[in-house]
Amino acid sequence: MNAFIWAATALAILQLPLLAVACVRRPIDGLVALELSGILLTATLLCLAEGFHRSFEYTLPIMAAVLGTISGLVFARFLGRWT
Amino acid sequence: MSAANLAVDVLLIVGVALELACVVGVLIMPTTLDRLHYVGAATTVPAFCILAAVLCREHLSSGGIEAIAAIALIFFLFPVLLTATARAIERVEESED
Repeated sequence: MNAFIWAATALAILQLPLLAVACVRRPIDGLVALELSGILLTATLLCLAEGFHRSFEYTLPIMAAVLGTISGLVFARFLGRWT
Repeated sequence: MSAANLAVDVLLIVGVALELACVVGVLIMPTTLDRLHYVGAATTVPAFCILAAVLCREHLSSGGIEAIAAIALIFFLFPVLLTATARAIERVEESED
């Protein structure tokens, strides 16, 4: 295991407390946790792509960044409207 | 250990430690808007530390350019998302009062 795999593992573990926040607290707090989770996922995928030396995997962090933003916008829109 | 490897290790440690600080901020801050500040912080210095570590290895190859694109998307798109989320928080807290 190289440094990038260790960093990806640490970043993946950091998502666990955010999952707990999303489960336990109010939905709007869960949305905040989900947004931070999207950032961590992008960084994790970036580290995994470099750690495994697979150039095609660099597309995944780009998709994660775009989809994380769009999903957050949709949730923010509907949470603000429904509550 | 070469200077490049040392730089990669230091950048990754700093990046992960700052992401950890942002997660701790989301966990312990009292209000939702305070927590949102830590989400914004995670898109800046920690993300750029990880990008710099990747660029130390990849330089400006296709992988390096895609890594720049991913972090640039986060850096430029997430402020829009954070503004929308702050408005949603305001509406939710108005309806609760």
